[in-house]
Amino acid sequence: MSRPFPYAYISCPCAETSVADPARKRRSRESPQKASPVKPRPQPQIDDEEDEQTFDPRAPRSNFSLYPPEQLLYCEDCHQIKCPRCITEEILCWYCPNCLFETPSSMVRSEGNRCARNCFNCPACTAPLSVTTLENRGGDQSGPWVLSCGYCMWTTLDIGIKFDKPTNIRAQLAKMTTEPSTPATRTRQMSRTFGDLKSPLSMYSSIDDQLPGSRPDNEDAPLDTSIPRTRDARFAALKAFYKDQIAATTTSGVDPGDFGSAFSSPNTLHRIMSIYTATRMTALYGSGNKKARSRPPMMREAVSANEGLAIPRPDSESTIIKRMASDDCGWDGLASIEQRSFQSPDARFVEDLLPLPSLLRTKRSKRCKSCKHILVKPEFKPSSTRYRIRLIALSYIPLATMRPLILPPTTSTSLPSLSTAAAPNLDALTPQRPIQLLLTLKNHMFDPVRITLATPSVTPGRVASKVTILCPQFDIGANSDVWDEALQSATAPDRSSRTSPYEKVAEAGKVWDKGRNWTTVVLEVVPGSLPGIKLGKAAIDSDDEAGDDSDENEVALDWSGKSQDHGQQLQPDEDVLEIPVFVRMEWNSDNQIESEEGIGSGKGLGGDSVKRELAYWKVLGVGRIES
Amino acid sequence: MPPKAAKGEYIETDTGNKISRRSQIHGTQHIILGGKSIIQAEAVIRGDLFRTSSSPSTPDSKSDPKAAAGGAGNSIAITIGRYSYISRSAILRPPSRLHRGVHSYFPLKIGDHVFVGERSVVEAASVGNHVHIGKDAVIGSMAILKEFAYVLDGAVVPAGMVVPSWCVVGGAPARIVGEVGEGYGVEGAEGGMARERYRMVR
Repeated sequence: MSRPFPYAYISCPCAETSVADPARKRRSRESPQKASPVKPRPQPQIDDEEDEQTFDPRAPRSNFSLYPPEQLLYCEDCHQIKCPRCITEEILCWYCPNCLFETPSSMVRSEGNRCARNCFNCPACTAPLSVTTLENRGGDQSGPWVLSCGYCMWTTLDIGIKFDKPTNIRAQLAKMTTEPSTPATRTRQMSRTFGDLKSPLSMYSSIDDQLPGSRPDNEDAPLDTSIPRTRDARFAALKAFYKDQIAATTTSGVDPGDFGSAFSSPNTLHRIMSIYTATRMTALYGSGNKKARSRPPMMREAVSANEGLAIPRPDSESTIIKRMASDDCGWDGLASIEQRSFQSPDARFVEDLLPLPSLLRTKRSKRCKSCKHILVKPEFKPSSTRYRIRLIALSYIPLATMRPLILPPTTSTSLPSLSTAAAPNLDALTPQRPIQLLLTLKNHMFDPVRITLATPSVTPGRVASKVTILCPQFDIGANSDVWDEALQSATAPDRSSRTSPYEKVAEAGKVWDKGRNWTTVVLEVVPGSLPGIKLGKAAIDSDDEAGDDSDENEVALDWSGKSQDHGQQLQPDEDVLEIPVFVRMEWNSDNQIESEEGIGSGKGLGGDSVKRELAYWKVLGVGRIES
Repeated sequence: MPPKAAKGEYIETDTGNKISRRSQIHGTQHIILGGKSIIQAEAVIRGDLFRTSSSPSTPDSKSDPKAAAGGAGNSIAITIGRYSYISRSAILRPPSRLHRGVHSYFPLKIGDHVFVGERSVVEAASVGNHVHIGKDAVIGSMAILKEFAYVLDGAVVPAGMVVPSWCVVGGAPARIVGEVGEGYGVEGAEGGMARERYRMVR
């Protein structure tokens, strides 16, 4: 989500430090985070003079380091801003976003990360489904129930499913979609085949028996209820089959329940691999029988339908194609790629779509990656919005807000008096017409802070806008008692100056306005002219380069960004006026535990006060330059 | 900007609500404003769609305690908390449902510090505190937006959807597309601008 102008992004310094993981680990092991000095200043690793390079908000790398301030955290141990890349997350609980019930972590895996209750999403449009009754007139709500989508009007009736009860829909659905097998016959058949195979001597003969034997079975199989037909049922059958195979072929007492451990032993792996080599072929065709018998029993593949093998009918493809081509299917009868991506692979038509149980969401706590301190810990309950620990950057670094300064109509002579009365339209700034912005920094710490702002006089990139901060160094008061402000504001004149800025003129070297814990300074910006565009009548082009470009072509904008010919094309969002500002804050913090730790830039000042500093790049998005 | 009326654009109530003279508010006796809320011009608030006591078609509704209570005086259609902001041309309409064969309205509860964008239509059952609804969004009937939910511009939240706290939803139909940061809703930052917005309106 892009923000409306004006906005302020903060660059996390982690983007400039090398992200080689081993190095990071080593460093943190040698001297956990205390010895590693605070590097708030971006330090590109290229070479030393690059240290003084200004931050370019348009550099491709900047995309990955700029964050809106509310997404940033602050580690009190590292004394650093932490972006989502500098933290690790731990899951506190799983909950369903629809019913907001928590799912215990032991259940999450078995339920497939989905809600086990009545929460379903529409397979056609992903909107949540609601349980509704088909009989809506009687006083008592009874009768068959369906899941219906309030967005696209899909119901489970479209796939011919009704429910007997309005509760525990997922279990009911699972019963319907996995086939109604009679357990007795199935287990009997299974036990026969597995029992046969458990004997190593009978293994090959049993396969040979089954291969021709299973063919005629398959012909009348569709009526046999013991044959698993749906994907889930087939998977369950396959899983059971291979579990038994592993149990049967493993001589060591490995737990057959766990595929991973069973396959991880080199012995087993060798055995599996040998299935696919000549041994199996020779074994199947009888010539290698003697040789194979001396070996431990071999695993075989599923060969029959009740073991989970699905042999598609030879004409299945053509029937699908015929159905697609038929008039009653049409385009609407086909499931889209988005719909199919959440369904079983052989779901091709809208009749094959099954309602999707809601995916669970998580609540997560966050830790600093380098020092492992907890930065964010929400309360455990899914519905709670409170935090036990929440170290957000907003409570440490000053919060910057901007608004355009509406100039009094009389003071400025250079500007046409028509447009000065109204606030400048930030979505269409006129090139070369200076605007003034009020930049307010609000301190959230309990210590007064000295701020130094620095900005390149001309913004990087081809659209060179001139920027002047009229008062680059100033103090912000402490965020002390709210009552102070309340009492002050009743009498103090700063309120009135806020409401009517017409009496004031921005002066260099002076703060515009000041409050209890905030200070406002004036930023003067001259938006640059866009390259490659014939300049308008009013624009005075001071930039030679841009002037040349404007002669060459008119409005040939190439939005593809592929062309290497600079000066011709306007790249996407190149007309956005973004100002990199380097913010350096200094304050004397009350000594807490870590006074003698020698935090890189902070040095001890006596017993109970530590001088601290924090510096970072910030990008102010002022507006879009009109073309 | 149209020329300002001599009386001023907004009527300010005792509790500090600022209500545009050009807004359309129906059934004012069924609407509760928490104070310091702003209703901009051309916003439509349908307080007249409240739950009727007992319809003649449901003689058994007296046995239902809820329906009986609805008729017993608290026929509140819309509740809006403090510092909420209803932008221009937004429509607030109580949700409705076909309940036991009767089409009945349910109250719409909007919490504190809620922002409703321009031209949005809200039919939710409840909108929690600090919820942001972008412009041109549609919140379907009986949807529930939990605290700090963020509805992107142009989203269509389907009827009956629940948006959990801190979640960002967007698209049509709306899906959860992300989460807002931990600092969301801090006073003065993104999501915490409600007081500032109130101050700017006059």
